[in-house]
Amino acid sequence: MNDPYFWSRLQFGFTITYHYLFPQLTMGLAPLLVIWKWRALRTGEARYAQAARFWAKIFGLTFAVGVVTGIPMEFQFGTNWAGFTRYSGGVIGQTLAMEGMFAFFLESAFVGALVWGERRLSPRTHFLAAVGVALGSWLSGYFILVTNAFMQHPTGYALAADGRLHLADLGAYLGNRWALVMFTHNQAAALVTGGFVVAAVGAFYALRREHLDSARLFLRTGVIVGLAASALVAFPTGDAQAKLVAQYQGPALAGMEGRFHSGARAEINLIGQPNVREQRLDNPIRIPGLLSFLAFGHVESDVRGLDSFARDTWPTDIEILYYSFHIMAGLGTVFMVLMLAAAAQLFRGRLPESRVLLWLLLMAFPFPFIANTAGWCAAELGRQPWLIYGLFRTDQGGSAVVSSGDTVFTLLGFLGLYFVVGVVYLGLFWRELLHGQTEADHG
Amino acid sequence: MVELAYAIVVLLLTGFVILDGWDIGAGLIHFAVGRNEAERGLVIRAIGPLWVWHEVWLVALGGVLFAAFPAVLASAFAGFYLALFLLLWSLILRGVALEVRGLVRDPLWREAWDFAFAVASLLLALLIGAALGNVLRGVPLGASGDFTLAFFTNFRVQGTVGILDWYTLSIAGFFVTLLGAHGASYLAVKTTGPVHDRSERLARWLWFAVLALLVVTCAETAVVRPELFAGIGRRPLAWLPAGVFGAGTALAVIGQWRRRERAAFLGSCLLIGGLMAAGAAGIYPVMLKSTLDPAASITAAGGATDAAGLRVALLWWPLAFGLAVSYALIVYRHYRGKVPATDSGPGY
Repeated sequence: MNDPYFWSRLQFGFTITYHYLFPQLTMGLAPLLVIWKWRALRTGEARYAQAARFWAKIFGLTFAVGVVTGIPMEFQFGTNWAGFTRYSGGVIGQTLAMEGMFAFFLESAFVGALVWGERRLSPRTHFLAAVGVALGSWLSGYFILVTNAFMQHPTGYALAADGRLHLADLGAYLGNRWALVMFTHNQAAALVTGGFVVAAVGAFYALRREHLDSARLFLRTGVIVGLAASALVAFPTGDAQAKLVAQYQGPALAGMEGRFHSGARAEINLIGQPNVREQRLDNPIRIPGLLSFLAFGHVESDVRGLDSFARDTWPTDIEILYYSFHIMAGLGTVFMVLMLAAAAQLFRGRLPESRVLLWLLLMAFPFPFIANTAGWCAAELGRQPWLIYGLFRTDQGGSAVVSSGDTVFTLLGFLGLYFVVGVVYLGLFWRELLHGQTEADHG
Repeated sequence: MVELAYAIVVLLLTGFVILDGWDIGAGLIHFAVGRNEAERGLVIRAIGPLWVWHEVWLVALGGVLFAAFPAVLASAFAGFYLALFLLLWSLILRGVALEVRGLVRDPLWREAWDFAFAVASLLLALLIGAALGNVLRGVPLGASGDFTLAFFTNFRVQGTVGILDWYTLSIAGFFVTLLGAHGASYLAVKTTGPVHDRSERLARWLWFAVLALLVVTCAETAVVRPELFAGIGRRPLAWLPAGVFGAGTALAVIGQWRRRERAAFLGSCLLIGGLMAAGAAGIYPVMLKSTLDPAASITAAGGATDAAGLRVALLWWPLAFGLAVSYALIVYRHYRGKVPATDSGPGY
């Protein structure tokens, strides 16, 4: 609370967390929509067209909430983080502008056509609309991740005489290694969300013994995508991401693992509570040497703890950073086990009758959202106390002229408005779930 | 280079006002032309599947401003803090209303979102109008390049001004009337039946009011920001949008007179585009004028990023813009013509 920009941080954190619940689902669903539209076009089978129609409506609803909650994100750079905007706008403005111009225009032009235009468009054009939407949503993700990657690991910039950052090399900026790794990791995680949600809806219908054709198709697609994505999110993408953190953000890695003291044969802590005052981990269960191996490829490698870094470069919220990382990694493991079991039953043709597994798949749907959120908390809290790692500190970046009273007011406004939006969204999702398969209107 | 970047910013802002202007305008007259649930459903379907694409012009504007003029964005957005959040919340409310209204077949549900749509549209028109008024009048910028702005102070246009004063309020009022007329012209093109007839009638009255208010607004602006008209007179390049504005006005008036819906609507678009572009050309090179000290004003060159960054942005921007427009043309083509009056389920 001593932090002058505490409320701005809280507001940005809350609005981005809430916003990203929606794009992760649209990015996860978009490739599935393309596949179903493609199969419908090629085979002419009604179940694929029906699946695409149903999920396109869910997609449209989710996309709309994603759009309206996304616009405040761009604006908040200027409203709450004017110092950061002045300092780095010449660089990160490029990708924020590209996101709007290249990705968002593409996605928004075709999303209406995809969701509502089936009656007037030819099947081919309608398929192309799905491709445009999918391409736009993933491209949008890339530009935003390049922006974030610059904050994590700046490349392609120059510090000009006026004390501000300027773009020096567009290729180095767009091709930031951190961005490429984070993009693959993040998109795999979005596919986990897409796969789990589709599988959960399939499980819902299978348990209710209705719309069994749809149930089978959703279970099949959801489990295959969910299994593949859960594997990809851990290896190679998560592994590569962790190695980058180990290499470039030492204090962040130490905070994520609750590692207060340096040493060789560093352990992975499966559970435990970081006690920052006493500088130790309480009640730990550890696997010796594993962190050394995962971070640097050898069990004897030395991994630096927080004690070897200057205190003013420590992450500011070590406890939340630690839990975020552990929740993400723990859930990722659970996802793989669950999807492996589901896939085994699927290939034996018994999944639609396996009630326990169906219940597990159904109840699992919130957890990919939690894992994605926790992963982003780990990335962003690990970046603290920097806005741009090693270059520009968070307490330099706020808007000096905006009062805390103004920020608290707008934060409260967002809390209220987003609560209403969330209730409406869930209500409509539920309604679509109950009636979406049978409604006579075709598109 | 800076001139080109400024022109792109103006183009995106103008595009947003013309395109999303007809969605907002339809919202303003939503209850006036749609007297029951079915008629209001027709209004919403006439806005159709492209309102998100229109709103993206605002996102693109924010992005380009960020890349090309970060110092302007930082000053202006922090300075207009609360007003901007009101704008964002109105956009959220409007978007949710448009998307969810049709999903449930229930008269009360639909009426509630119709109301939300109309209120959000009114707020949007007022806020955007007041914002444009603020840009014309200037803001209390200090030497540090920062300012804060109360919603209102003493309603005068000099010194420590607020967001609302007699001038910005009158610009907001003019803007509401203008977008109402624009929306009515649009609905006349896209609809049939009672909604069409009411839109056509309303458009006449509103255009009459727009022309009257236009004279008043220009006179006020000549007092508040005299260099605007001087700037237009001095720059031959500004005569082009001024000409477009004149042609648009003539076309809108003749279109209304002769009941040519499409001509009237085209005129409406040209009028708004010409007005915005001519105004922007008139105040160049000042992007944020200071009401405290002319020397503290932020000019385009002063607020811009370095030349290398601008060059990069100017290289990729035309490609992106060409692509963006081509997608929209495809969708507009499929969505052309009148919207069917009977509601055969959501979609088109």
